[in-house]
Amino acid sequence: MNEPMTNSLGRLARLRAMVWLVMPCLACLSINSVPARAQSVGLPAPRLLATFPMGGQAGSEVEITIRGESIDPASELVFSNDGIRAVAKRDEKGNAVPNTFLVSIAEDCPTGIHEARVLTSLGLSTPRVFTVGHLRETTQTESSTSPESPHPLAIDSVCNAVMPVRAINHYRFTASEGQRIFIECAARRIDSKLRPVVILSDTLGRDLLVERTGDPLDFTAPADGDYLIKVHELTFQGGADFFYRLALSELSDEAKPVPDAGTVAVSAASWPPESFTPGDSSPETEPNDQATEAQTITPPCQLAGTFFPAADVDVFEFTAKKGQTWWIEVGSQRLGLPTDPSVLVQRVVPPLPESKQQPTLVDVALLSDIPSPVKVSGNNYAYDGPPYNVGSSDVLGKLEIPEDGLYRLELSDLFGGTRQDPRNRYHLVIRQASPDFVLVAWAMHMELRNGDRNALSKPIALRPGATMPLEVVAIRRDGFDGAIELSMDLLPPGVTADGLTIPAGQSRGVMLVTADAEAPPGWSRARLVGRSEIDGKPVTRTCRLASMAWPVKDAWAEIPHPRLLADVPVSVGSAEIAPLTVQPRSPETIQVQEGQSLTLPVDLIRRSEFSGTKIRLEVMGHGFEKHPKIDLDLNQDSADVVLDLAKLKVAPGQYKIALCGSVVAKYSPQAIALSDLVDAPTKPVPTKDIVDIVVSRPFTIEVQPAKKP
Amino acid sequence: MRDDLSCRGPLLRAALRRVVGLLPMTIRLLKIRLSTIARSRGLGLMIGLLVTAPGLAGDVTGQPEFQGQPERPSPVGPSEQIDGDTPHFTNDIVPILTKAGCNTGVCHAKAGGGQNGFQLSLLGFEPDEDYDHLVREGRGRRLSPAAPDQSLLLLKATGRRPHGGGVRIEPDSIHYRQLHDWIAAGAPRGAADAPRLMSLEVQPPDEVLAKGASRQIRAIAHYSNDSERDVTSLALYESNQPAMLETSDSGRIDASDIPGKAAIMVRYQGHVAVYNAAIPAGATVAPLADPENVVDRFLFANLGKLGIPAASVCNDATFLRRATLDIAGRLPTVAEAESFLSSDDPERRRKRIDALLDSPDYADFFANKWTALLKNRRDDRSDITSNFAFHAWVRDSLLANQPYDQIVRQLLAATGTVIGNPPVAWYKRVKDPKQQIEDVAQLFLGVRMQCAQCHHHPFERWSQDDYYSLAAFFSQVGRKPTAVRGEDLIFHERGIAQTQNVKSGQWLRPAALGTDVGEIPAGEDPRLRLADWMSSADNPFFAKALVNRYWKHFFSIGLIEPEDDIRDTNPPTNPELLQALEQEFIASGFDLKQLIRVITTSRSYQLSSHTNELNRSDRQNYSHHYPTRLQAEVLLDAIDQLTGARTDFANLPIGTRAVALPDNSYNRSSPFLKVFGRPDSSSVCECERVQSASLAQSLHLLSASDIQNKLAFPGGRAERLSQSDGVSPENAVAELYLAAFGRYPSPSENDLAVHYLLEPRNDSDGKPLGTREARKQNLQDLIWALINTKEFMFNH
Repeated sequence: MNEPMTNSLGRLARLRAMVWLVMPCLACLSINSVPARAQSVGLPAPRLLATFPMGGQAGSEVEITIRGESIDPASELVFSNDGIRAVAKRDEKGNAVPNTFLVSIAEDCPTGIHEARVLTSLGLSTPRVFTVGHLRETTQTESSTSPESPHPLAIDSVCNAVMPVRAINHYRFTASEGQRIFIECAARRIDSKLRPVVILSDTLGRDLLVERTGDPLDFTAPADGDYLIKVHELTFQGGADFFYRLALSELSDEAKPVPDAGTVAVSAASWPPESFTPGDSSPETEPNDQATEAQTITPPCQLAGTFFPAADVDVFEFTAKKGQTWWIEVGSQRLGLPTDPSVLVQRVVPPLPESKQQPTLVDVALLSDIPSPVKVSGNNYAYDGPPYNVGSSDVLGKLEIPEDGLYRLELSDLFGGTRQDPRNRYHLVIRQASPDFVLVAWAMHMELRNGDRNALSKPIALRPGATMPLEVVAIRRDGFDGAIELSMDLLPPGVTADGLTIPAGQSRGVMLVTADAEAPPGWSRARLVGRSEIDGKPVTRTCRLASMAWPVKDAWAEIPHPRLLADVPVSVGSAEIAPLTVQPRSPETIQVQEGQSLTLPVDLIRRSEFSGTKIRLEVMGHGFEKHPKIDLDLNQDSADVVLDLAKLKVAPGQYKIALCGSVVAKYSPQAIALSDLVDAPTKPVPTKDIVDIVVSRPFTIEVQPAKKP
Repeated sequence: MRDDLSCRGPLLRAALRRVVGLLPMTIRLLKIRLSTIARSRGLGLMIGLLVTAPGLAGDVTGQPEFQGQPERPSPVGPSEQIDGDTPHFTNDIVPILTKAGCNTGVCHAKAGGGQNGFQLSLLGFEPDEDYDHLVREGRGRRLSPAAPDQSLLLLKATGRRPHGGGVRIEPDSIHYRQLHDWIAAGAPRGAADAPRLMSLEVQPPDEVLAKGASRQIRAIAHYSNDSERDVTSLALYESNQPAMLETSDSGRIDASDIPGKAAIMVRYQGHVAVYNAAIPAGATVAPLADPENVVDRFLFANLGKLGIPAASVCNDATFLRRATLDIAGRLPTVAEAESFLSSDDPERRRKRIDALLDSPDYADFFANKWTALLKNRRDDRSDITSNFAFHAWVRDSLLANQPYDQIVRQLLAATGTVIGNPPVAWYKRVKDPKQQIEDVAQLFLGVRMQCAQCHHHPFERWSQDDYYSLAAFFSQVGRKPTAVRGEDLIFHERGIAQTQNVKSGQWLRPAALGTDVGEIPAGEDPRLRLADWMSSADNPFFAKALVNRYWKHFFSIGLIEPEDDIRDTNPPTNPELLQALEQEFIASGFDLKQLIRVITTSRSYQLSSHTNELNRSDRQNYSHHYPTRLQAEVLLDAIDQLTGARTDFANLPIGTRAVALPDNSYNRSSPFLKVFGRPDSSSVCECERVQSASLAQSLHLLSASDIQNKLAFPGGRAERLSQSDGVSPENAVAELYLAAFGRYPSPSENDLAVHYLLEPRNDSDGKPLGTREARKQNLQDLIWALINTKEFMFNH
């Protein structure tokens, strides 16, 4: 669904405007009666946490129940693929059964992972993976924690299950001697918190195969009979967030098992390069593990190989001319593999003609790791930056040829010293410069001393009057250095987007997505792109969105799990309105002369009570970031913010900037219910202090050259 | 329900007395254990066997004579100097200071400045530095050449000036005179080309020594000019078995009445020699006609040499219980015991061992052992993932019977993330490269390298260069931070591996305890080269250390003790046996299960713990089985198994056995595990596990609430047996004995226990209890009594 739309939640639209408007008086009533509470982070956002089952068979209809945060009432379940459609389940009286949907999966719906989201009064939720497969689907409603009563499994079926806390689920299947069974437990890759341990044992409880890293088991039955599968979480955690799909499929002896697809890490956004064609890779030619066995190659070229056996070093040789520049890229970790490729290029210096010595080797380039273009923060108590790593342990680097001659390239896996796994493959690309860029965006968070990372799991679900900032990061390839303009289209009605440019040579920009105060509820699947010019030609690249697989309330105990999303849906909710809007008094471009003071006329529209009387704002936008933070009085309706361009040394040109800060709003979860009480409420309303990010609508500024005296 | 001990009242105490009183085996074990403990503490109970060993000359009860080499005249008298009249500081003075104890670690060689500003190198390993400290430092105030007797050195050493170390040298001794003369001569450093000490010899190097015999051994120093010197009075002596062989400062040795083998380590100026003594019991022992394998061949051969008769082979019940506890860390189940005791299959013991080795219980039990040694500690709650992953990796590797060298290789050269490659977790626990090599050396090679970090190893040949050369293998371990606090990605960082000797400043390439491993190119992970060296068939440490460690697991006492202190100066008690096992292990491809199979199928392992007069005092030669108290985890599981209760452990499924606990964190929540000495995973030394007895342990078993709760566990064995109409008292008693001891009760035990079970009981108000309730409480009492027997608490 790509067209902007409105929906049935519109009936709440008349109420939402009053939610925050009534809040001041409610808060005043309650201020002395509500005890102080711990401060939460991020206003409520709709989050779909689980569907059950977590997938379905192509060409079937399946009943699904959903669970999440702030998703009531859930009016629609939407999917990233139009081949999957859902309608709310209704009881005999025609009433919708809460959180229950009937999902139809088209026969031709692609198998693999898709994403489900639920439409709520706060907008469209965060996504949850929904898998479409070709095997028969079953669900396990009761746990099977005792080996004496295992849950029966049929071969060529998938069982959807949830792991109880401190438990092992047991399954039984029957196989005949020599039958080859492929056992997969999909969990992390379908947004589950479960780190599955799968143990295959005989009926006497003797373990035959154990897999603890999430990989499949490839099992050939040694005898006719029953076998047990034991599944548990690595640290025996469990609960509703610990769901999994256990699939058993029969394979022929010669079949090469293909594991199901799953979500991908943020680092995968940069693979493959635009010029890469998977089928064009030549296979490495073994043996090529020694200098004496080096495989001769001719750049530009594209090779496919494996880091196998343990401590494998693949050696290639090629001739090159002085002054040539080659770009070398290796894709392996970005294929989802636990590898750390490293490339060493050495010049092979031949001995003197009469000499009996061996050639000598001179290091020319050592390439490892694609660094993140922005600092990746750790999971510390203080939130000091995004924990999204766009970098990779793969290789992307430049090779400049210093002399004519023979060059030796050694490719190894720094993680492969003791590992014997032929699945650890790679693609090696040696090419001439092909400048390009890749973009990844995620919802911006605020600097905060608080381990709460819930707000990192944030859909682009806007409250009317709110501006949501997305942090956009560019990975530049093969020396590309140009500025990148950001833009967004296919937005729902009442929503606008303004990109703060990624300057030349830099890696970070911001996209501001704003819902008008009168924006109607609705959603659309938007498109976020970056535009630039490469070799004199305009280039547009789609930006992928990343988010956390699940909200994390305590980063000290649980590590956030970022991943790429399938699409970029933008929605406007109907239930609430932004507690605070900071916006330019006028949409006109502000003109100022170079080196002079710039005055930004700012309006503040409050719809809530706040803890504290000031908001501290920093300036976002290239050239303005170094400006000291600005304090605005929250009780004022307007202010003039003055920026000294002389200190900032802003060059003439056009700029878009915004003001960004955070406030602690006094939020009432009962606001929606209370909104029916248009007249003065009579009893105190409990409120909750919630800190959230506040970003202004952008200011457009034109800095004109200074007039000569 | 009356759970507390006081409510159990006299009936219970009487039951204990009677039940224990009717457990002859238990009593015998008690006696054995007590005598064993007494002996080990040197409290006596040495039974002198006045039998002369065949071939021994002389009367062992009279003046000692020696069968070994005759005493040779000293090449140079003890008072003479090696290079003539002028004392040489290194060759003549330092040995005196060493003998007097001036340069020990607690005196003037104490790290950080010595004592009261006077610093010497440890045991005189750095004579040049010592010379400067003694002669030049402090403006020369320590020596007075004009009045040598007034030298501070001599005033302090003789106690004429207050000295924290007391009197170290008597004024009328030869050592005093030598120091005096050296000072009077102007305290010369000595000629630079003076002869250098090349080796140390002990005379005799080995011999058979009668029980109770005494003799003088001699230490001979050999110098670079081919000269010799008798340094007996200057050498240091230390016995590896003081209970068997004592030594004096002068090299006089005294054998006790305990038969076996013992060694005296003789040290002089950084050189070490060993005197080995065999002390026979003296009995005539016929050779074993049909040894099961190499274990029997060499163990019985040793017993024959020492004249120690072996005990008989234990009965089936004892074997089953012993093997199940040793291999699987649990008691045999009632069904297993019934099946095994009723079997007439001649291969039943071998089959049982195979079944135990194939069971997950084996992997759980040995993973418990290894993860503690590999420091799988939980210091932060975020450690749980890496700890569980690491424990699981060890367990899976053992269950799949991964060759030992491969397991060690994966650990040593681990790369990647903890989740992707769990042995990486070891690098989270042990971050300092120096600690890494110390742990690796001690755990996998049985070599303690700690001393060599700062100075030449006092008991061994390891130098600081050896230490830092070993550390160089870990010099290219790269780390990258991960999202998990304190956890790094581990990778090989390209570069030439080398480590700087902090004392000499020299950069050293990797070398494996003196063995050249060749040039390691920058791109190769040096840790793989270390793993290659370890698993090579001719490695003198790797297989030996493991074999000795596993031997100790099954026999309680290592062929070398401590099991991780293998050195020339600490010889094995049965070197032929150790070598044979080592070769078997290597030939098997480092097959751990096969090693256990060889050990446990041997007749030697299956000997009874019953002793006779001729082998009772043997604590070294495995003439009988040495009972050991069950480890903390095994004992807790055994109690759960007997009572039908379970212990709940946080974050683990209900019913998880204590031997399957992944890390040390459970010690904090379980007083039982703490009291019974479960290690805290902070050391690579097995000695961290406390196996000694304590009053707290006795009190815990007698009266702790968790024990009482287990007896009364809902659905437990007492309740089940009391509620089942079809279970007769006789059957109930038989089940309890099978569950607790793996055997049926004797007729007298059965009579007493049945009688007790049928006794009526009153409640706290004196009103008679119903039959089922009375039966249940009597069963609880009986189980409680069984738990408190030595037969239950010990593996015998």
